[in-house]
Amino acid sequence: MNAMLSRVADSLYWMSRYLERADHIARQFDVHMTIVTEQAVDAARRRRRRLLTTLVGEEEYAEAENSDYHLSVLLTFDENNPNSIVNCIAAARENARQVREQINSQMWEQINQMYLAVRNQRMDELWSGQLHSFYHTINQEVYRFQGITDARITRDQGWHFVQIGRYLERASETADALNVDFRELYSNALEQDAVDQQTYLDWVGLLRGFAAYEAYSKVYTANVQPRHIVDFLLLNPYFPYSVHFGINRIQSSLQFIGEETETPKSARVYRLGGRLRAMLDYAQVDEIMDSGLGSYLLNIQNQCTQIHQLVYETYIAYSIEDKLKSMQ
Amino acid sequence: MLYSIRHTTRYQYTSPIVESVTEVRMQPRNTDYQQCSQFRLQVRPQARLFTYNDEQQNTVHHFTQPGIHQQLAIVAESEVLVLPRPGLPAWLPNDSWEAIDAASGQHWDWVAPSNDTAPTEQLQQLANELQVTRNEDPLKLLVALNHRLHRSIAYDSGSTHVDSPIDEALQHRRGVCQDYTHIMLALVRNYLRIPCRYVSGYLFHSRTDTSADGATHAWLDVWLPLLGWVGFDPTNDMLVNERHIEVAVGRDYHDIPPTRGLYKGNAGSEMNVGVRVRMLQGSAEQIENNEDESAEPTTYRSTAQQLQARYAETLAAIQMQQQQ
Amino acid sequence: MAEARQVTATQDRRFQTYQLDEAYDEMFAPDGRPRPQYLTLFNRLLELSPSELEARQQSADLSFLHQGVTFTVYSDARGTERIFPYDLLPRIIAAAEWETIERGLIQRITALNLFLHDIYHQGQILADKVVPREMVYSSKHYRREMRGLDVPHGVYVAITGTDLIRLTDGRFAVLEDNLRVPSGASYMLANRQVMKRIFPGLFSQYGVRPLEFYGQALQNTLAALSPVSSEETTIVLLSPGVYNSAYFEHTFLARQMGIPLVEGRDLAVHDNIVYMRTTAGLRRVNVIYRRIDDDFTDPLVFRRDSMLGVAGLFNAYRSGNITLANAIGTGVADDKAIYAYVPAIIRYYLGEDAILPNIETYQCGEPNERRYVLDNLASLVVKAVGESGGYGMLVGPHSTAEERATFRTLIEANPRNYIAQPTIHLSRAPCFLEGQVEARHVDLRPYILYGKRVTILPGGLTRVALRRGSLVVNSSQGGGSKDTWVLTR
Repeated sequence: MNAMLSRVADSLYWMSRYLERADHIARQFDVHMTIVTEQAVDAARRRRRRLLTTLVGEEEYAEAENSDYHLSVLLTFDENNPNSIVNCIAAARENARQVREQINSQMWEQINQMYLAVRNQRMDELWSGQLHSFYHTINQEVYRFQGITDARITRDQGWHFVQIGRYLERASETADALNVDFRELYSNALEQDAVDQQTYLDWVGLLRGFAAYEAYSKVYTANVQPRHIVDFLLLNPYFPYSVHFGINRIQSSLQFIGEETETPKSARVYRLGGRLRAMLDYAQVDEIMDSGLGSYLLNIQNQCTQIHQLVYETYIAYSIEDKLKSMQ
Repeated sequence: MLYSIRHTTRYQYTSPIVESVTEVRMQPRNTDYQQCSQFRLQVRPQARLFTYNDEQQNTVHHFTQPGIHQQLAIVAESEVLVLPRPGLPAWLPNDSWEAIDAASGQHWDWVAPSNDTAPTEQLQQLANELQVTRNEDPLKLLVALNHRLHRSIAYDSGSTHVDSPIDEALQHRRGVCQDYTHIMLALVRNYLRIPCRYVSGYLFHSRTDTSADGATHAWLDVWLPLLGWVGFDPTNDMLVNERHIEVAVGRDYHDIPPTRGLYKGNAGSEMNVGVRVRMLQGSAEQIENNEDESAEPTTYRSTAQQLQARYAETLAAIQMQQQQ
Repeated sequence: MAEARQVTATQDRRFQTYQLDEAYDEMFAPDGRPRPQYLTLFNRLLELSPSELEARQQSADLSFLHQGVTFTVYSDARGTERIFPYDLLPRIIAAAEWETIERGLIQRITALNLFLHDIYHQGQILADKVVPREMVYSSKHYRREMRGLDVPHGVYVAITGTDLIRLTDGRFAVLEDNLRVPSGASYMLANRQVMKRIFPGLFSQYGVRPLEFYGQALQNTLAALSPVSSEETTIVLLSPGVYNSAYFEHTFLARQMGIPLVEGRDLAVHDNIVYMRTTAGLRRVNVIYRRIDDDFTDPLVFRRDSMLGVAGLFNAYRSGNITLANAIGTGVADDKAIYAYVPAIIRYYLGEDAILPNIETYQCGEPNERRYVLDNLASLVVKAVGESGGYGMLVGPHSTAEERATFRTLIEANPRNYIAQPTIHLSRAPCFLEGQVEARHVDLRPYILYGKRVTILPGGLTRVALRRGSLVVNSSQGGGSKDTWVLTR
C-alpha cells in the first residue's frame, strides 16, 4: 500500500486544475478577439454572451456583453470574478505553495513568475498593442509548466492527481463549449449540417478555442461541418483537448491510484471512469446528434462532476468514520 | 443524605458537524463528606467513553464522535451519599495568619490569582466597600465576607454568561453563582491571600435558596489551618452543607467546565442543560424541596460555543473553498 | 578596554584589519599566533589568492541556492528567495575541548530531564526548597495538565539545542537552554554539505567528525521513544505550515528522515488514537516530532482558537498512545529564571558540579539580588524571562538614563519577570568578509538527542554576528552562521 497525504493530493489536483482553467480562458479570449472583429454587431454580442456563459456564468454582464474591453477586464483581472485569469493563477500558486516541498523547484518558480507577470500587467498597456502577446504568453507559460511537470516529476500518485485535475477540467470545458455553441448556432442554421457564412467564423472559433483547427483539418480537410466538429472534439481519442482523450487519461490515472492505495472504494471510482470511457469508445456521432447532443454533453459533465466527487470522497475529504469502519 | 442526580446536556447544531471531541466533568468526587456510589454516563451519538483523573483528581470522561451528527446528548446519572459536615469553631487560633502564609507555598495555585480571579479596579472598589483586609480572625472574616458579598450582588440568572469576566457582574452588581464564586475567590486571593478553589457541583434546593434550581451550582472552598478546606456558598449566603454535591475543583470555572468540546463544521450550537437532584434517603422535613422536574432547562448560548463554531476547518470546508 | 593587538603571524594584507582584544579569539592565541587547531586553515588561507577565495565564496553561494537552503521573504509580496547569510571559514573545535562540552551537555540535559519529571510528579526538589516553588508555578511554560502524566520512556526533552558561548578565559559556558522547539539543525547540515564541496582537501587533512548521520540519528531517537516497537512505528513531523519562518527546516528534516511532513489538518484523533489522512485511508501515527508550541498542539486543552494542532491529541498523549517530541511543558526548564538554578539542579539530581558553567545570573525575584541589580543597572544586561530573540532587554552599558529608569519601574512592578547578567564578551572567530579576514563574535548551538540515551552531534550551529562590533547573532538581526568542525583525536 502506498499512501500520500490527502492534503497534498488535494493541492496538486487544484493547482493543476486552476492552471488549466487559466490557460483555457486565455486561449478562448485570444481566439475571440481574432474573430469578433470580422463579425456583425449582433453576432459579436451573441458571441460574447456565449463566452460569458461558459467562462463566467449565466448572470447578466451588460458591459462585458457589449464591449471587448470590459470583457477582457472581467475575464482577466476582475478580483470579484473567481474565475478571472488572475484569480485562477493566484489559486494555482497558493496550492503550489502548500506543496512546495513535493513539487520541483522549477515548477514553483514557473508558477510564481506567471503570477507576478499577470499581476503586474497594466490594462492600458494591454490595450495598446499587447493584447495578443499577453494571452498568448499565458498559454505558453502554462505549457512550459506542464512540460516541466511531465519531464521532471516521478510518475507517482502525485503526478496522477495532477493529471486528473488537468483532464477533468479540460473535458468539462470542452463539453461545456460544445454544448453552449451548438445550442445557439446549430439550431439556428437553416440546413442543419450546412454552414453558412454567418456562422462559419463561429464554428472555426470553436475549434481554435481548443487549438484544434489544424488538427481537425488534417482529418476532415478545411471542410468545417458541425457533425465533424462534434466527432473531433468529443470523440477523437488522439486529440489532447477532446473529451474522449481526457477521459482516457483520467481513467488510467484513476486505475493507477486505485492500485497504489488499495482502497476498498477505489473500484467505485474507476468503474465510473470506465463507464464513461466505454460510453465514448463506442459512441457514433450520428446517433448522438439524432438523440440530442445537449443531453449527451450534459450527461458527460454530470459524470465528470461525479468523478470529482468520488475522488474526493475516496481519497481526500472522506469521512473518517467510514475509514474507521473499513479498518475494523 | 443520599441523592440521585440526573444531569442532561443537549447540544443542537445549526447544521451537521463531524469529528467532535468532548470532555466531560460530571462525576461527583469522593471526599471525606461525600461518596459517589453510582455513576453512569450516556452519550448520543454513541461513543466509546474514556476516563482519567485530572491533576486535581477530578474524574474526566472524554469521547470522540467522528460521524455526521447535528445533536449531541450527554446524560450523567449518579447516586451520592453526602454526610453532614462538622460545625465550625467561632474563631481560629491566634497564629492562623502565620500558618496560612507558611502553607501558601504548597497551595501556590490556590493563592495566585487565576485568569478569572485577577484583580481589577472594580474589584478594588468592592474590596474597599466590604473592607476586605486581614484585620481579624480569618474564619470570622470569611463568614462575614460570604454574607456581605451575598448582599452586595443581586442574583439574576440572565445577567452574565459562562465567559463573563467578573467586571461584568461587578459593574451591575448582578450575577449568577459562577460570578459570586469568582468574585469571592478574587477577594480572598488578592486581599486576604488565603488559598481557595472553585467548586462546581449541584445543590439540593430548598425554597429559600437564591440560586436557580435545575442547573449546576458553584461555590468555593477556602483552606484554613486545622480545618482544611471549608466550603462557602456566597450565592445562597450559607456554608456548604449536606445539600451540596461536589463534582470538580479547580482554580476557577475554566479549569473545570462540565463540558468542553470542539467539532468540525460550519455550524453554531445551542446548549440546553437540565439538572434534577432527588433525595433518596434522609429527612425530608429538614429540607423543603421544591417540586422536581418542574424547572425548565436553562438555555444559553455561550461565547465558548461560538468559538467552537469558528473552529471550522474540515476537509469538507477546504473543498468548499476550492470552487469547481 | 584592553589595547587592541594585531595578528603577528603574518603580514598578509587580508589580516590587516583583524582585531584582537580581551574577547577570546578562536583562531589566534593572545600572542597573535594561530592556535594549533587553526594552523592548517591559516596556512591554507595564506596560499589562496584573494580571487580564489572569492571564487569559492561564489561557488558556495550557488550551492546554497541550488540546495534550496533559502528562506522566503514574504513581506515583499513577491515570494523572493534569499539564501541564509553564512560565512566561508569554518569554526574549529579541538577534540579535547569538545569532550568537555559533550560531557557537560550530557550532564546538563540528564539533570534537566530529571527536573522536569520531578516537577510534574512528586515535586521533591520543590519540597526540598532547592528551586522555589513559585519560580516553577509562575512560569508561563509550566503546564498543569502534565502533572502526574508519564511520558513515554520518561524522556521529556528528545531534542535540545543549547546555546554556548566562550568566556574570555576560553571556557565554554551555557547561555541558554532551548528545550521547547529548538531550530537550526538544517543550517548546520547544509553548511556542512556546502563546505565539503568548497574545501574538500582541508576536510581530509583535518579529520573532521561527520554530521551527516543527523537525519538518521534523529529518526532513531524518535523511534526509540515510540510507544510501539520501532519497526512498526510511524513518525511524522508536525509543522505549522508554509507560512512559518522555519518551514524550510521542517521540509529539510522531514526529507532527511524520510518521514511525512504533516499539518494539524492532516491529523485526526479517534478513541485516543492519532491518525493521519492519506489517499490510502487513515494511517496510525505513533510519534510526532512537533514543531509547534505547546499552546497550539491541542485546541481542546490549550489555545481554543488554534488551528495548527489537533483536537484530542493531549488525551491520546495522556493515554500513552503517542509520543510527542519534545514533551509538553518542557519550557518551564528553559525559563530564564529557572536557568540560574540549573547548577543547583545538577547537583541535586546527579550529585555533581556543573561541568559547563552558567553565566552569572541575578534573580530580580530574590530581594537581595534585586537590590544589586537596581544598583548596577548601568553595567548589567537585564532580560525579561518570558521573552526570546532579544526582546524586552536592557543592555546596561549601551543604555540611556531614561531606559534604565523605565526598567527600574518594570523590575519593581514584576520582579519575577526579570533576570540580570553581567555584560559578556562572546569569543570571536575569523570570517571572510569583502576580501578581508576579520574577527566576528560567535556562539555555538550543539544539538543533543535523547532517545535510548543522550547523544550529541559533534558540531553544531555556530552563529556569527556578521556586522562589525555587533553581539547579536540572531539571523533576524544581521546574524549568519558557519560550519563547525569538531576534530578527531
